[in-house]
Amino acid sequence: MKLQTEVLIIGGGATGVGISRDLALRGIPSVLVEKGDFASGASGRNHGLFHSGGRYAASDPEAARECMDENRILRKIAPHCIEETDGLFISLPEEGFDYRERFLRSCEKVGIKTTLLSHDDALELEPELNPNLLSAVKVPDGAIDPFALVLGNVKDAEEHGSRILLHTEIISLILDDNKVKGAMVKDLLHGEEYTIGASTLINATGAWANQFLKLAGLRINMALSKGSMLITNRRLTHHVINRCRPPFDGDIVVPNHTVSILGTTSIRLEEIENFEVTPHEVSLLIQETSKMIPAIQETRFIRAYAGIRPLFQSEEKGNDRAISRGFVLIDHEKRDGIKNLITITGGKLVTYRLMAEKTSDLVCKKMGMNVSCSTHLKPLPGASRPAGLTEQLKQFSIDKEETLCDCELVQRKEVEELLKADKLKDLQDILHRTRLAKGTCQGGFCVYRLFGVLHDLKMIEGDSSKALKEFLEERWKGTRPILWGAALKEEELIESIYKGIFNLTPTHPSPVEGEGEGGGARH
Amino acid sequence: MHFDLIVIGMGLSGLMAAKTATESGMKVLIVGKGMGSLCLFSNTIDVLGQFPKTTKMELHKQAPDVDSNVPRGEHPVPEGQFTRRQVIGPLGTGMRDNLSQWIKNHPDHPYSKVGLEKVEEALSSFLSLFPPPYSFETINHMTCLLPTGAGTLRPTYLIPMTMVGGTLVEGGNTLIVGFKGFKDFYAHYVADQLKSRGTTLSLPDAFHDEMTATALARRMEIKSFRERIGKEIKNQLHDEILVGFPALLGLHSPTQVKENLEEIIGAQVFEIPILPPSIPGMRIFNRFKQWLIHKGVTFLLGYSVSKATTKSRRCEGIEVLHPPKITTYSADCYILATGRFIGGGLKADHERIFEPIFNLIVSQPQSREGWFSHSFFNDPPHPIHKGGILANLSFQPVDEKGELILENVWVSGSILSHHDSIDEKSREGIEIATGYTAAKHALDTYK
Repeated sequence: MKLQTEVLIIGGGATGVGISRDLALRGIPSVLVEKGDFASGASGRNHGLFHSGGRYAASDPEAARECMDENRILRKIAPHCIEETDGLFISLPEEGFDYRERFLRSCEKVGIKTTLLSHDDALELEPELNPNLLSAVKVPDGAIDPFALVLGNVKDAEEHGSRILLHTEIISLILDDNKVKGAMVKDLLHGEEYTIGASTLINATGAWANQFLKLAGLRINMALSKGSMLITNRRLTHHVINRCRPPFDGDIVVPNHTVSILGTTSIRLEEIENFEVTPHEVSLLIQETSKMIPAIQETRFIRAYAGIRPLFQSEEKGNDRAISRGFVLIDHEKRDGIKNLITITGGKLVTYRLMAEKTSDLVCKKMGMNVSCSTHLKPLPGASRPAGLTEQLKQFSIDKEETLCDCELVQRKEVEELLKADKLKDLQDILHRTRLAKGTCQGGFCVYRLFGVLHDLKMIEGDSSKALKEFLEERWKGTRPILWGAALKEEELIESIYKGIFNLTPTHPSPVEGEGEGGGARH
Repeated sequence: MHFDLIVIGMGLSGLMAAKTATESGMKVLIVGKGMGSLCLFSNTIDVLGQFPKTTKMELHKQAPDVDSNVPRGEHPVPEGQFTRRQVIGPLGTGMRDNLSQWIKNHPDHPYSKVGLEKVEEALSSFLSLFPPPYSFETINHMTCLLPTGAGTLRPTYLIPMTMVGGTLVEGGNTLIVGFKGFKDFYAHYVADQLKSRGTTLSLPDAFHDEMTATALARRMEIKSFRERIGKEIKNQLHDEILVGFPALLGLHSPTQVKENLEEIIGAQVFEIPILPPSIPGMRIFNRFKQWLIHKGVTFLLGYSVSKATTKSRRCEGIEVLHPPKITTYSADCYILATGRFIGGGLKADHERIFEPIFNLIVSQPQSREGWFSHSFFNDPPHPIHKGGILANLSFQPVDEKGELILENVWVSGSILSHHDSIDEKSREGIEIATGYTAAKHALDTYK
């Protein structure tokens, strides 16, 4: 197989799919390749805070202004992905009012609307907040559903002629002198290798930017910063809660449907693949966020996860939190003399559209075209659909259908429809597109049932134990750091089912345990 | 009220302790907030599914995937996959030899504290409660492999007569039956793994709103229901000689359900263990409950023990929560059989693991970082599982130095330290053996 297109986009995060949509609306053909599923990197692994810009107003006014402008645009084009909760920046006694004054002045300068709330007003709005708080500043923060946002862009891009290939990896670049002419790719599900010819390549791989650039012998100065987050099993507040101090670890609590997400940490990484959250990070997050919301000490957690922020460094600085959260657009023709290659990285989820616009502008300029962007004017597909309570309740009516997931009330009918429509092959792809495995048991019951349905539909045959084990191993990364209290009980149940009743055993022979008894146990 | 013995916990271990004590004429109170892991996981009686290093796998030589030099700690049977020729029958050497080797290699294991003779006595005592027709059997006193609800095979020892047919499954000779709308068992999933055929029966009427294992088990006891599904299966049967059902063939008269179905279908019927709850576990529980009450044991189900009062190394009484009031009970001796985390016998906050009733010493890894391994499957068993209450050779709670903490309290069941029952496939065996032995030690002291 061989494909030919105008623009080849690498990376299926928010930026990549945003570019795909932007180009499609301008009438420029493109192909996007993604080695995993959509939003597998930072786009899908963040706290879902729909920034007003407040968090960066004092430290990085330019990034804050971008956030504010995009915040306004996204409310118009993607209202179905956003919950307009507003956010509170709360001042605790240990910080006093020093930062609050700077914060208010900076917001004013950037154009972020603020309302100052007294101690009593803040607690009336959010009774779970620390009763010792001094005051709170309300800003137009919100919560965003990144996966819905990405899928909305994908749908619109495809409807306008873009092609998107999931589970497809770039193996090498096709270079002619100093000009990129396309890439050799591999279909990871079927093993097929083929070329995609293109007159422009866009590297929208986020944290993987340097891994991709290595293929062209290039490197940019980028830091990788791991941010870890925790999901609670209930919604703690209705507003986004920030601590009114310079951004630091454990100072954000974002409501998200029925749960809250606590974030974040910031740990410099050398390697990209380490997504593990350590018990130490979990303890730190609980300790810090519970200063804002004391109930966090006693709350049950569902899962921990981490994302990797790609942070572009224009100069060396010691603290990753001081590096700009703004984005960077690199024309490699200017920088390195490699023609037709563009890198876009850094930035925030909230500014994905602006990043796509600027990248597409550069593509147009290089092509000598003069078509302007319209992504800020045209709503995403589904934008007019009300995502209100009534509609959500309809699903749970008196329907006596089989429920596969008891935590999130996912019905078998719903899953079957998705499976039939999409012909999804990869288990994680299915889980991404449903609420399966998102609830308290994290798929302990419903993924077994999903395998049952797949066998019923003859979508898989033969040995499923390996895939089931792979799922449980992946699930483990999220649950292992939060196992105590009720979550530990649940874990004992899940382990007793899969290793006990079902006797799923190690894939590789386990190392021989130490002689005698009590390895690891204290006497 | 004063008793000779109070058993805290109504899992298999507590029930065995109560049985043992009452048989010796003690006045017994058993109190538990739930039915223990018995009704979640126990379908058969596991004793030791993992083989000591030196065991030879002679009977299994013909199986291509099995190496006779299996290292200790590794189960020799690959799950989920076996060839047409491979017979799932008895495995390895007899259980007596396995246990004796295990005890030699694991001096701190609960089995070693019980001793081989007493383990066998305890198992016999358990078996005596289940006379035919619903009896527990072994396949030549060896570990056998039974198919599961994930289509895998698992090693176990004592199996109820309703499951014996499962040991005969061989590619193609079995029809697996599921029920449409019952979400805890998938016939095609199981059948695909076992290289057999599966069928999913549609059940009529508005039964859909209660498609649970317990509801189906109750339904199975209705003759007209059995006849309807039996005839349907007979129509669908090709040349299969075995028919596998999820383990829900009746709560009270499983033998009758099985035999009646066999009569209609004309093939041997067997049950396959599935996701919790466990109907076969409930059968065990109900049998104990009926027997203990009949023998005059005070049976307090559904109440949790909130506190124990202790004074100079003796327990003087326990407080039982009957909201809104609290009742105090006392006894000469006490057996703690409250299970692990699910049962509430052990609790954990984000720093440490503790025992909430007596605050006994819990052996555990140094910090939370060490509780679990990085990999769910591929590392050795998670260190937390070996943690538990430290006990001496008589199952009395001791501290790190081996000093007795309470002289009229005994500890039994999965709450004990130094076992890995999930990995060892020894859960029920440990519960039965330690419950029996703890009660015997209590008896010896207070005779």
